[in-house]
Amino acid sequence: MNFLAFLAMLILVITIITLVFGLIAYFLYKTREKQKKHKTKKYVYEDVLNEVGGNYIFFE
Amino acid sequence: MVKTFFIISLSILIILLLIFLLTSYYKTFYHFNNIIIKIGVGIILIFITLVVLRYMLLLFFSILKIVMKTADEKENILTTSNKKVSVIIPAYNEEKVIQQSMKSVIEQTYPNIELIVVDDGSTDNTSLVAKKFSHIPYVKVLRKTNGGKANAINYGIKHSSGEIIMIVDADSKLEKNAVELMARYFENPEIAAVAGSVYVSNQNNLITKLQALEYIEGLNMVRNGQAFLKLVNIIPGPIGMFRKSALYEVGLYDNDTFAEDCDVTLKLISQGYKIDFESEAIAKTEAPENIFDLIKQRYRWTRGILQAIKKHSSLLWNFKNNPSASFTMWYMLFESVFWPFMDFWVNIFIIYLAITSGISLLIFYWWSLFTILDVAGALYCILITNENLSLAFYAIFYRLFFIQFINLVKILSTIEEWFGFKMDWGKLERKGRI
Repeated sequence: MNFLAFLAMLILVITIITLVFGLIAYFLYKTREKQKKHKTKKYVYEDVLNEVGGNYIFFE
Repeated sequence: MVKTFFIISLSILIILLLIFLLTSYYKTFYHFNNIIIKIGVGIILIFITLVVLRYMLLLFFSILKIVMKTADEKENILTTSNKKVSVIIPAYNEEKVIQQSMKSVIEQTYPNIELIVVDDGSTDNTSLVAKKFSHIPYVKVLRKTNGGKANAINYGIKHSSGEIIMIVDADSKLEKNAVELMARYFENPEIAAVAGSVYVSNQNNLITKLQALEYIEGLNMVRNGQAFLKLVNIIPGPIGMFRKSALYEVGLYDNDTFAEDCDVTLKLISQGYKIDFESEAIAKTEAPENIFDLIKQRYRWTRGILQAIKKHSSLLWNFKNNPSASFTMWYMLFESVFWPFMDFWVNIFIIYLAITSGISLLIFYWWSLFTILDVAGALYCILITNENLSLAFYAIFYRLFFIQFINLVKILSTIEEWFGFKMDWGKLERKGRI
């Protein structure tokens, strides 16, 4: 195998690894963002108001 | 003189190398009888020619822009300005970085300045930190309920008194002469906006170093080339200056896209305004330091730019009335959609070819042609800026995996945009390293 062919093979392997890694990383990122959203979902006043049926709530 | 000689010799060498590689590529693949290989190789050849032309034109325009700027400076066409500049920093949860950003504005050499920080309903101590500077007469710290970056900028503009508006991201730090260098362009009434150069401040790992290279080559060189035609297509968030009257004419910033900077620039171009670039006005910004943050940033950029293109899609076929706007739109479409998809398709074609026929030489030609262009672009940019020469070395890795990875993220984000997936801003966590 000459040097050029070896280099081409090396680049090809790196390309395949990069594409696979990129795909995995992207979907891991999407999963992480989804989980984050569930965790950080804030309970705001309007949500409580909707739950209790639209009457004002008074906090002591 | 030495610099010019070096650039010219380098350019000749690169052109010769490219011609040699292209002819070897053609000779190698000409003799194949398989029709699929012939078509694929032909498409790749056409695409490479397009990209080489794009690089060459941008490089050529960039050199011309520098020559013209030097001539303008010598003939005092670019005179100093004394127009009042209102610097607006929109901030949402930026307590780690806001102080340095504000400090860099306060230390500007330009005298007629006003600084407005708009705290967009932060849940941290951003406004408390910002208020440390409120004893300075020209510093205002405003607070509003959270409404997004575009709304925060508009809020700042409405409370400003300068005729020139400068937008600076809270995670960016200006060089001392940035405002002075950019404000002088507004003596020309045709200029509606000026972009500055963005450098990466936290070059502490491979990801940020590759982004540093991307910023100087992919963004700054491209803007310098576009500036020759006065058609810079994106005023970057970290450093952009606008004529206030022009902003009002186009209805200020809109919040219907996730790339408000690109959207406002397109609105200005569609009104026939000129957009320039000042390469020596520098903002140093914090780049994402890990893969997930990088994906988050590129996801927002890609979808935001696509939203802006979609919003202004009527300009695509407006060659007769507004050729410059049409040209800008097609260029953006090429960069943000065609190029990433083409790059991905070529990789898949090469892998297919390697598996079915054992030919892997095509990828060597593909990679080396682009790497030569990248190294040339990087060397040229390093020569005209004060960036570290060692960055040119990273051009090898840049094409080998960084751009492949970025393009894949762009493609997946484009697909999500196409199918209308829901998205939010995707705030990056600041490390405070600006």
